[in-house]
Amino acid sequence: MSKGQGRKQAILGLIMVSPSFLLLLIVVVLPIAQSFVVSLREESGGIGLGRYAYLFEDKGMRDNLIFTLRITLVSCALVLAVSYAMALYMRFSDGRLVDWIRRTYMIPLFIPGVIATYGLMNLLGNHGWLSRFLLVFGIELPRIIFDQKGIIIANLWFNIPFATMLLSSAMAGIPASVIESARDVGAGKLAIFFRVIFPLSFKTFLVALTFVFMGVIGSFTAPFLLGPNAPQMLGVSMEQIFGVFREREQAAALAFFTFLLCSALGYFYIRSMAQEEASRS
Amino acid sequence: MSLQLSVRDVTKRFKTGEGVTGISLDVTKGELVTLLGPSGCGKTTVLRSIGGFLKPDSGDILIEGRSVVALPPEKRPTSMVFQSYNLWPHMTVYENLAFGLKIRKLPKAQIREAVADALRLVQLPNSEKKLPGQLSGGQQQRVALARSLLLKPAVLLLDEPFSALDAKLRQEMREELREIQTQTGLTMVFVTHDQEEALALSDRIVVMNHGHIEQAAAPRHIYDRPSTLFVARFIGKMNFLEGVVEGSGIRVGPFVLPNEDRIEGETLVGVRPEDVILKAAEAGEGMKGLIKQIMVLGHYAEISVELEGGGTVRSFQPKDAVRELTAGQQVAVAFTKSIAYPKIGDN
Repeated sequence: MSKGQGRKQAILGLIMVSPSFLLLLIVVVLPIAQSFVVSLREESGGIGLGRYAYLFEDKGMRDNLIFTLRITLVSCALVLAVSYAMALYMRFSDGRLVDWIRRTYMIPLFIPGVIATYGLMNLLGNHGWLSRFLLVFGIELPRIIFDQKGIIIANLWFNIPFATMLLSSAMAGIPASVIESARDVGAGKLAIFFRVIFPLSFKTFLVALTFVFMGVIGSFTAPFLLGPNAPQMLGVSMEQIFGVFREREQAAALAFFTFLLCSALGYFYIRSMAQEEASRS
Repeated sequence: MSLQLSVRDVTKRFKTGEGVTGISLDVTKGELVTLLGPSGCGKTTVLRSIGGFLKPDSGDILIEGRSVVALPPEKRPTSMVFQSYNLWPHMTVYENLAFGLKIRKLPKAQIREAVADALRLVQLPNSEKKLPGQLSGGQQQRVALARSLLLKPAVLLLDEPFSALDAKLRQEMREELREIQTQTGLTMVFVTHDQEEALALSDRIVVMNHGHIEQAAAPRHIYDRPSTLFVARFIGKMNFLEGVVEGSGIRVGPFVLPNEDRIEGETLVGVRPEDVILKAAEAGEGMKGLIKQIMVLGHYAEISVELEGGGTVRSFQPKDAVRELTAGQQVAVAFTKSIAYPKIGDN
């Protein structure tokens, strides 16, 4: 390739990435930077990290943080366990049941969040269908709605289809032949799972984990409609600080802190991708 | 020689109608048997049944006198080398090789030594740390072979292992495999559709067609005395001439050729190109014909002669013998050896 041609291609490449880069800049990078600047304004008028200190010093805020992290971790664990099991089942079994699961598991993706949440309230609420049904047998349903259980159940509903879709495609990418050769050298089901299937789908597992984590930690609709009044998830708390208490700076600090939490996971994700690239070249 | 593998009356039919019927095969210890046939003849079905990846509809498979037909692949004393290598892409060469030994709970030092030995055997020493993706096709297949050899299987199964490699490498791998077999004394069942490969490698060739065995014999025997028309067509090159039974022989043109199998009615007479002699036309004897084409194929030449009575005969001649021959020249053709088959309608 001649020098001129190389430069032409470089310019063309820049032109082609610039729309997405500009979009990223305007929609993501600038607001984050702006939030950070805003969050540095102290209540007393000076500049400092007081808003961030508040997040840990205030008991209510601390509870919100722990509550959010707990719900996120429990949701991630449950979503990935269920999705992984479903993806495995769909990959290695066949029959009518599998066909049905394959056809229907993505339906929740097509139902708007607010409507699904409303449905959950009707189903699981204090006087909902489930409690009325169980009452016939004399069983009293524990409180699910306006409790962390409600938020977690909603997270399962919202996240399982997408995570399953990702993991299924990873499973489909594992050729039957490498499993055959593993059986041939004497590997049983467990050894095949831990030494062949899991390592070969680990990358996608990490992608799914990242998506679920980000989705849950920043969720608003479900925790707002289904969660308890206190403690709150960060999204709900942010809205309250911003809309009810009208403390723009404090809300910005919380937003930026949430962004940092997500970037921590993003860092692990990118690092593992980079390792993969390095081992390949 | 003791019996190492015994396939007894195995039948396996797929929904598509393909499969094998009534396959019986005995392999003695240390023997290398090739299953040879066109694609779809059922050779891989037999191999996969022995390996445990297919469950036969009926029949039994015995390894060292023990029935294995009910066992899954992981419990069978067999090991398979696959056409597509089937290495685990996320494991290094060392991990690929050590996997089976770890499952057998061998001590680490012993595994390390065994892996190094196996890699030396397949001529890939010091490649433990590489990933399969960093190796060429031939090297990957060597690793796959080493992986199977390490497990010291009672029967080593090879499913067209070299068919994805280029011709030169294929030949090298063939020689290496033969050497490994003499060194280790392993019993091997080798599937291929390449008759040259089968002839080069095997102690015994089993020619299969449409799900049954056509002939099972030593390569020499198969080549010299193919027992059916299919085998005669499939193995090596063969000229076919129509003949008529006449007395105790078969008349083809001016010749009366022997009829050893006492065939009646219409016959097809097969003659290997190397058993075709060309003489000057003036000699008078033989079938007259014109030389159509001369192709020099290395140390020998293939000459096609169009016979006066119709039909073409191919002859192999040493490359020096064809110097005096030219296309269009008239020659007389004679045969030193022939074999006759009854003519069947669809052939």
